[in-house]
Amino acid sequence: MKLRYYVLRRILLTIPTLFGLTLIIFILLHVGGNSRLIGAYVKPSSVVSIAQQEAEINRQLHLNDPLIVQYFYWLAAFLQGNWGQTSTSVYSGTVTGAIVLFYPNTIVLAIFSAILITIIGIPLGVASAVRKDSIFDQLTRVISFAGFSIPVYWLGLLLIIVFASSNVSPYLNWFPIGGTVDPRLVASSTWFQGGVSSPTHLLILDALINGRPDIFVNALLHLVLPVLTLTFGVIASVLRVTRSSMQDSLNQDYIRTARAKGLSEKTVINVHARRNALIPVVTLMGFLVANLLGGVVLTETVFNYIGLGYWGTQALLNGDVGGIMGVTFIFGLTFIVANLGADIVYGYIDPRIRY
Amino acid sequence: MQDPSILESADHSGTTTRSQRYRLTLKIIFESPPAIAGFVIILAYSIISIIDFVDPNLIGVPNPYSMVPDFVNPVPSPPVWPLHPLGTTFPGIDLYQAIMAAIRIDLWYSLLIVLTGAAIGTIIGVSAAYIGGYFDEALMRFTDLFLSIPFLVFAIAVGFFLGREINDISLAIALVWWPLYARYARGQTLSIKENMFVEASRASGVGGWGIISKHIMPNVLTPIFVQISLDMGTIIQIFAALNFIGFASSNSLLPELGTLISDGFQYAVSAPWVVLYPGLALLIFAIGMNLFGDGLRDALDPRNRT
Repeated sequence: MKLRYYVLRRILLTIPTLFGLTLIIFILLHVGGNSRLIGAYVKPSSVVSIAQQEAEINRQLHLNDPLIVQYFYWLAAFLQGNWGQTSTSVYSGTVTGAIVLFYPNTIVLAIFSAILITIIGIPLGVASAVRKDSIFDQLTRVISFAGFSIPVYWLGLLLIIVFASSNVSPYLNWFPIGGTVDPRLVASSTWFQGGVSSPTHLLILDALINGRPDIFVNALLHLVLPVLTLTFGVIASVLRVTRSSMQDSLNQDYIRTARAKGLSEKTVINVHARRNALIPVVTLMGFLVANLLGGVVLTETVFNYIGLGYWGTQALLNGDVGGIMGVTFIFGLTFIVANLGADIVYGYIDPRIRY
Repeated sequence: MQDPSILESADHSGTTTRSQRYRLTLKIIFESPPAIAGFVIILAYSIISIIDFVDPNLIGVPNPYSMVPDFVNPVPSPPVWPLHPLGTTFPGIDLYQAIMAAIRIDLWYSLLIVLTGAAIGTIIGVSAAYIGGYFDEALMRFTDLFLSIPFLVFAIAVGFFLGREINDISLAIALVWWPLYARYARGQTLSIKENMFVEASRASGVGGWGIISKHIMPNVLTPIFVQISLDMGTIIQIFAALNFIGFASSNSLLPELGTLISDGFQYAVSAPWVVLYPGLALLIFAIGMNLFGDGLRDALDPRNRT
């Protein structure tokens, strides 16, 4: 079928998945009984008393009705944007407000990591397969293996110990320990409140918008170690899959034909082998996003980097239901969209699967 | 060269029995140095766990179920040979004892989690594939639901609603992990179901349960066991990561590698050993598990079995 019909079909298939996601969240909310569900919507700072609020929520969500009916009312509230309240040490207010505040920082971290992983991982994997069993290949495999086995948060702590303190050598103390920016620099800025910056919530952009290049540079410096931590763990998987799929591709008959025809090795690799090797890598991108999103939670906790993962762990530690619900939904949504993107790219590259 | 007696059956009929194939697999694994190294590491960790269980004082761990704080010297102190070989961490806990005890706890809970997840997943996968039809469709949609959220986040969410004890964390991870096994088992069952020997069995009158137990189960269980050994390394990381984030209550004295790292988090810069050594214990185990798992997978790859 044509590409556009495939894309349309794939997008339509995402809708039931999204509803399934809401179903999971609804079930989770009900596991602990109604008190948690009600607690997620109570506004602590409102003038209305808690008992009155609870009665109102009870009425709105029809909590005395059978479960299916409750799901529909809950879903209606959910789709209208009422995702509950969160109150953690980082932020108190509506869940949607928290997501808008914290998502950009996490996206910055994830995008930088994803770019690094793609730029370094894929060419290294290809080169490693081409120079199979050479020293380069062995070295790459060892590094990939290390990245695969190392605990993400331990790597972050290791990087902090080496590069953000004087323990190993005072000459290596290049980067700051944690946080998104040096608090002394933003102390007098009105556009930086509660750990998040004002117009776009993206510290890097806002620093430029508000005309503070020094904050811009400082924010970038604060990004280096978290991005490295996140990248190293995930790059291992990409390296492995690229290498093995490139190897399979190089063993194919059409490669032998290309060589027999007298094409240069460079042409054989670049034009024929690599293109076909990238197909499994695209499907790996879904797995990559899952690992990235999981790693983001750990990395933000280690580096005190104010983002979605950090808010999630604070919600966990404070027993904040709205926060957990919001984080789960956003991460699930991101994952589903990323898989959708990967499937579309896959359909574009490989016409065979567009049945 | 290959020892011919491993491959041929006694009557030289040209077929190999299952035990002969197992012996061949073991032989190939133990010919590869990285796999041997991995096996040695896993063996060492298992021995430590068993000693912890049987007679902890042998390796100098007086109390394997709880870390022993020393409030007289709460500040972490660096390694000192006879008394604190690896130093101490936050409320005066001796790091060597804590790590030795934690290894057993980690290994035990990871094994429990993987086996539970594998059991649930395999049962669901095999029944879905065997019964087929709408049942299969419905179960697969159900499985896909679980796979739509990144597993660490999902484990955090499930764990949050289940509770903060270590058993709740384990249950949460198992509940998030089973879909992978369901998919895998289903794929295996589907490919076995179509085989000739199953049809032959059915033709000779073997009923449903007979087919499952004689044909499907043995052929599904072997790849599942391989997958289990590959997963142990990942699961122990997730388990430690959840404890690091702070699932267990803050006064918990249950020795666990992730909890140790999170206890020492505040002191990471001023006293690096408090996070270095527990993490190293995790890293070495993960390396061992992955090396052995890779060796196992390569050994089972049909291209390597001449």
